[in-house]
Amino acid sequence: MKWRVIGLETHDAYLNMAFDEAISESLREGASLPTIRFYNWEPSAVSIGYFQGIRDEVNLEVCRELGVDCIRRWTGGGAVYHDFDGEITYSVIAPANIFPKNIIESYGLICGWLVRGLVSLGIEAEFRPVNDILVKGKKISGSAQTRRRGILLQHGTLLYGLDLKTMFNVLNVSRQKITDKMIKSAHERVTCIQMHCGAGKKEVYEALVNAFTDGKDCGAGIWSRDELIRAKELAEEKYKSSGWTYLR
Amino acid sequence: MIAHSSKKVKEGKIMTVEVDFDDFIKNVKISGDFFLHPEEVLNDMEKSFVGLKKDVSFDTLVIKIHNIVESHDAQMIGISPESMALVIKEALK
Repeated sequence: MKWRVIGLETHDAYLNMAFDEAISESLREGASLPTIRFYNWEPSAVSIGYFQGIRDEVNLEVCRELGVDCIRRWTGGGAVYHDFDGEITYSVIAPANIFPKNIIESYGLICGWLVRGLVSLGIEAEFRPVNDILVKGKKISGSAQTRRRGILLQHGTLLYGLDLKTMFNVLNVSRQKITDKMIKSAHERVTCIQMHCGAGKKEVYEALVNAFTDGKDCGAGIWSRDELIRAKELAEEKYKSSGWTYLR
Repeated sequence: MIAHSSKKVKEGKIMTVEVDFDDFIKNVKISGDFFLHPEEVLNDMEKSFVGLKKDVSFDTLVIKIHNIVESHDAQMIGISPESMALVIKEALK
């Protein structure tokens, strides 16, 4: 199977999520190749899971003050702060039938590519079901997946740096989650690349590209005109709409 | 009246339930950081609770959720029919 790789790009939250959906549609219609893409978020943003309530998860007032975008994802899972400098995000969009039907196994497969990238940087990482990657017991990456009409989309973040102050200002962190894990400090449960190796962000990105494309028939690709038009349409009409943002 | 319940369930994810009810359930809204494939099945689950008595049994709720999961070949991750029923029952107390 031939894959398309879209190299590291920077977009706002709405276009980032719209691209994932536009590719899913286009792939289903046979107009696009299975795609692996890497991207940053500018401005920094909070994304919430499909089933989450935005008012429950996000401090909207602080986000407005800081100029942080807020978006509901097409995928389930939890709220994530996407810092422009502090992370690299990936998406994999491909026919669902090339992955295990068992969803946790398919998380394991794709997260395994990310683990390989980290190992190539000298960072011992492990996949922790359902959807996390840990380094020395601390979360360095989280992913979320959806399967719609035969297409699998998995996207996830890799923390390069940590801006915990902003992260916990913009997120309404669940006390239940923290209490349950007996964790007093966020530093005890979250980590980032910079705490484990001196690689620059570009080097980390290249390690990810190598790991994600290893053993696949991949080619560097660009957006088609139709994908661009559809992504812009989805960004404006769906992802920026209050109907979508306040769905739950 | 509208009541809420929120719990980190044993399967690992957080589930929040908002129930509007009098003697019967009028509306249910479920949110959280769980995964459910296909996602739209949650709407069917929420609708299936409408009209049930406020003292509906845990088992009845579990069966309703199970039936929807099976009929849609759905997969719940980080939650289960039992934990969903438990949080709904908590909200109805």
